[in-house]
Amino acid sequence: MAETQAAKRLREYETIFLVKPDLTDDNVDKLKERVRGIVTREGGKVLRFTVWGKKKTLFPVAKQPRAIYVHTSFLGDGRLVAEIERNLRNLDEVTRYISVKLADEVDPESRPVLEDLKLAGDVEETRPGAPVEREGGGFRAEVPEFVGPDAEEETSEEA
Amino acid sequence: MGGDDDKRGGRGFGRKKVCRFCAEKNASVDFKDQATLKYFVTERGKIIPRRISGNCAKHQREVAIAIKRARGIALLPYNAVVG
Repeated sequence: MAETQAAKRLREYETIFLVKPDLTDDNVDKLKERVRGIVTREGGKVLRFTVWGKKKTLFPVAKQPRAIYVHTSFLGDGRLVAEIERNLRNLDEVTRYISVKLADEVDPESRPVLEDLKLAGDVEETRPGAPVEREGGGFRAEVPEFVGPDAEEETSEEA
Repeated sequence: MGGDDDKRGGRGFGRKKVCRFCAEKNASVDFKDQATLKYFVTERGKIIPRRISGNCAKHQREVAIAIKRARGIALLPYNAVVG
C-alpha cells in the first residue's frame, strides 16, 4: 500500500558556515553555488541562502577577529548533509560549520524557494590590532550577585 | 536548628521567576539568536543555572544546547576574560 511515490518526504536542515573574512563577494557567491550544486545533485531542495555578512566573532577564528557567516536552509536527507559537510571540510576558506535538523517529514512541494538574502553584518571597521571594546556587558553585571545563600535556600525549599 | 533557619531566612525575594520562553507563546530557543542567548550566560560566558535564570526544565535544556551550538560558531564565547 504505502508506495514510495505517494510520500517523498524530506527533512529540513540548516547549515551555517563561517568563511574567512578576506573573501570577496564573488568568492562567497562561488561557495554558495557550490553548496547549491551539491544539494540539487543529491536530490534536495535549497530553500534559502542568507549571507549574514562580516561579523565579529567572540573569539578569534582562524586567527581572525571576524568572519563571514553564511546561513542556508534546505530539504534533504542525512546523506546530503554528510556530503555537504565533507565538502565544507575540504574547503580552505570555510573555517567552521554546523548543521542542524529543523523538521522531519517535510513535503518538498509545500515549501517555497525563497530568494537569497544578504545582510550587512557589522559595519564598524576597526583597525586590526586595535584594542577591542567590550560593549553591552552591563545588563549581565548584576547577575552573579543573585548566587547567594538566599537564592539557594529559596529554591531548595520550594522543591 | 529551626532557629538557625529563621535567622537565615530572609525568604523575601518575593519576585516570582517565570520562564521567559513559556511566558511568551511564540518565543522559541534559537542558537542563532545571539541577543537572546546572551541573557543566559554570565559575562564570563558560563551558562546561568536554572535557579537563577528562572527557566523551566524543558527550556533550560534547550537553552543549554543552543548556547553550546552558538559557541561552536563563535556567536558566544567559551570563556571570556573579564576585563
